[in-house]
Amino acid sequence: MHGRVKVKSTAQQEEEKRKEREKKLKIYTAARDACFSKRKDGVCDEEALHLTQQLLSSNPDFATLWNYRREILMHQETVKDESEVQKMYQNELSFLESCLKVNPKSYGSWHHRSWVSERAPQMDWARELSLCDRCLSLDDRNFHCWDYRRIVVKKSAVPVGKELEFTDRLIGSNFSNYSSWHYRSTLLPLLHPQSPESAPPSGSSPPSPQTHSHRVCEEQLLKEYELVQNAFFTDPNDQSAWFYYRWLLGRAEREEMISCVFISRDEERVAVAFSRPVQAQSGGLLLVLDGQPLQVDWRSIHPRFKHSPVWICDLPPGSINNIANEHNLTVHWPEKHTRRDCALYTGRNESWCRDSATDQELFRSELSVEKSSVLQSELQSCNQLLELEPLNKWCLLTIILLMRALDPLGYEKETLAHFQTLKEVDSMRSAYYSDLCSKFMIENTILKMEYAEVRVFSVSNKNLTTLCHLDQLLLITHINLSSNQLRHISFHFSMLQCLKVLEAENNCIENLEGVYCLPKLEEVLLKNNNIATLAALRPLATCPKLRLLDLRGNPVTQSADAESHLAELLPSVACLLL
Amino acid sequence: MGSLNYIQGETGTQVKDVFISPDAPHTLLLDKHADYIAAYGSKKDDYEYTLSEYLRMSGIYWGLTVMDLMSQLPRMNRQEIVDFITACQHECGGVGASIGHDPHLLYTLSAVQILCLYDSVDALDVDKIVEYVKGLQQADGSFAGDKWGEIDTRFSFCAVATLSLLGKMDAIDVDKAVEFVLSCMNFDGGFGCRPGSESHAGQIYCCTGFLSLTGQLHQLNADLLGWWLCERQLPSGGLNGRPEKLPDVCYSWWVLASLRIIGKIHWIDKDKLRSFILACQDEETGGFADRPGDMVDPFHTLFGIAGLSLLGDEKIKAVNPVLCMPEDVLQKLGLKPELLS
Ligand SMILES: [Zn+2]
Repeated sequence: MHGRVKVKSTAQQEEEKRKEREKKLKIYTAARDACFSKRKDGVCDEEALHLTQQLLSSNPDFATLWNYRREILMHQETVKDESEVQKMYQNELSFLESCLKVNPKSYGSWHHRSWVSERAPQMDWARELSLCDRCLSLDDRNFHCWDYRRIVVKKSAVPVGKELEFTDRLIGSNFSNYSSWHYRSTLLPLLHPQSPESAPPSGSSPPSPQTHSHRVCEEQLLKEYELVQNAFFTDPNDQSAWFYYRWLLGRAEREEMISCVFISRDEERVAVAFSRPVQAQSGGLLLVLDGQPLQVDWRSIHPRFKHSPVWICDLPPGSINNIANEHNLTVHWPEKHTRRDCALYTGRNESWCRDSATDQELFRSELSVEKSSVLQSELQSCNQLLELEPLNKWCLLTIILLMRALDPLGYEKETLAHFQTLKEVDSMRSAYYSDLCSKFMIENTILKMEYAEVRVFSVSNKNLTTLCHLDQLLLITHINLSSNQLRHISFHFSMLQCLKVLEAENNCIENLEGVYCLPKLEEVLLKNNNIATLAALRPLATCPKLRLLDLRGNPVTQSADAESHLAELLPSVACLLL
Repeated sequence: MGSLNYIQGETGTQVKDVFISPDAPHTLLLDKHADYIAAYGSKKDDYEYTLSEYLRMSGIYWGLTVMDLMSQLPRMNRQEIVDFITACQHECGGVGASIGHDPHLLYTLSAVQILCLYDSVDALDVDKIVEYVKGLQQADGSFAGDKWGEIDTRFSFCAVATLSLLGKMDAIDVDKAVEFVLSCMNFDGGFGCRPGSESHAGQIYCCTGFLSLTGQLHQLNADLLGWWLCERQLPSGGLNGRPEKLPDVCYSWWVLASLRIIGKIHWIDKDKLRSFILACQDEETGGFADRPGDMVDPFHTLFGIAGLSLLGDEKIKAVNPVLCMPEDVLQKLGLKPELLS
């Protein structure tokens, strides 16, 4: 079905082809029917082996015939002595080799080979490995062969270091080899694991290069930087090395922990933020108030989320409402052996306890400070490359990532300029760059806000196309998103549990799904957006304290009875600007 | 390969891509495609048709789904197909590709999908299918495709897709199944066939679809995976399935559907992709090929039409990105797989 070019032919050629196909069809169906009828009769003889061989060598995707063949081989095992069985499986391997020569990408042939390798009395694994070498030298991207190689390596206990050398060789002869870079990403963490003291404790998640991305020791990481740099200086447009480099620059996933506990007297409510989306409903969280375990119902911030980074519960009425009382709250997460305490002092209406993004260096490199000088020189090299290739998108993006790993705020201006160039030289992906740039601007704003120790988050006029990291904004009371290019306030926005004022003028917002059950929200300023229907405003009805709503310059205000409908929908709103 | 062309990149590096001729089709030829599919099954003694018998059940699913998306399903012979499917179910509960072919998860899913289009799942012994699927789950949570033990994340998808269409997801150990799929996640955020296997768009489609059906999409690194996926788009507008490969209509579907599932479909240039897909139509015979100028087949015809549907073509019914079936069919079943926004 793939790569068959359509060729024009004359009527006479067509007729000849038709006759030829008819002949082939007869031979094929005769052989197939003979196989099927033999199998039906339970015949497992040499002739059946011969018949299936004939069909499979030209049609290796005919899975049922491989199955029949396996039945025959298993039967023959019971009637032959060991040396004959060994001989039989050796023949099978030779037959498979010829199949793979003709069709190196057949699932059926490769699976049968690994099946045979399990059944044969003796396997010459060195031979299998050299078969893989040969096959990969013909096509170094054949993923069937790579997968079979991994089976062989495992079966014959080839040392990981040997396989890493193999990728050294392949990459050395051709940098543009995504499969080899991929293989490296799986081998390195095995060979050079991160030292145990700097590694986060292993959680319940299964190991994979993604979750364990930086379980590679720092020293090896620096060597890899050099290798990749060689690759992209040799061919700056080869994406393989750049993808690999981005992985090296990335961070391991944060361990699962409670990052913030917030308690409010007014709402008699507790909100808990986690480092990753979790499912807290199934009895996983324990809440202890003043030494007494409390039975509470945890709910995610929006019914849409079964897994959420923020969970809320209401405390029993009257348990904390007297402002003269001090309370001590602990949230336990037994499954992860972690907890967080939070004290609510006399005279205070709310309290929290949290990890800041700044303290955790959430948005920076994971390298130790002294090794960061290496990143600095990496950045210099990339800047040199950019001078030679000013429009190279891979180089531009990598420079942005290096700058962020080093000093996100210090490089903000240069980062923005590079994003601008990226959107021009790679316009097909401009929406991706816009979203990524938005993410970085939000991260920078979080850092600035934390330095200033305020609960006001202001990102106006930054060309934002998307919102993210909202779990970091659990405590903010004011958000200013004005003059951006936002089209939605997504479900995640309901994490802003302390929000009083939402300013989002001059965007192109069409829906407000995430302005949902925000208990403190009082003002929503949406002047000059794209809100066209009353339905789009419905989520606001779940915010009990909303009293000011500015909808001037939205299509919804055009309808004659908008005002009366809105008054009905949002009875708490005293000041409605249309 | 006639259509293959090497386009010079900005700085001289050769980018693998195809060249789209200015006289390639650029309007949607719906009637021709419907005629092509309707006629396809009628030449049953054709050599090529006979050779593809080992995947007949999937072939029927491709043809019927594309007909339904074009609102042409009534043109197909419903009774003949339903009887055929019944005849393909084995004692163990699994369904084979055709009569006389062994049961396999791939064809079990196709059979269930077809019967959902026809609202006649009862033509199969549903309890037995559930037992069959359940019996193929391994201790590590993975699924074998059949009793011969090939393990692949494609089969994890087939298992949960089959069970969710039958409303029987609780028959298997979902947590273990999820654990296995997540262990196949790679450095680039994508997925391969087994732990350690290279990322591949087809496999990524299966794994994101799997995580959608099991409600576990939050486990993905959507930003990283989305970047890898949107980098599949080539200057011709078509998408490839892995770095440094040629664009293809079927990969365009797998990448596009995955992007839709993780909420990043806007990261590619939709107009350019649409032009590429339209250029893969055959104006004479109807149908879509993998690339402009190649031979058409029902497989690429479905994924061409389904891709155009995801891109918002209003002449085609809305397709569900996870199950590759018309949304109205899933609505009737009450199925709404999770999508990231
Ligand atoms: Zn294809």
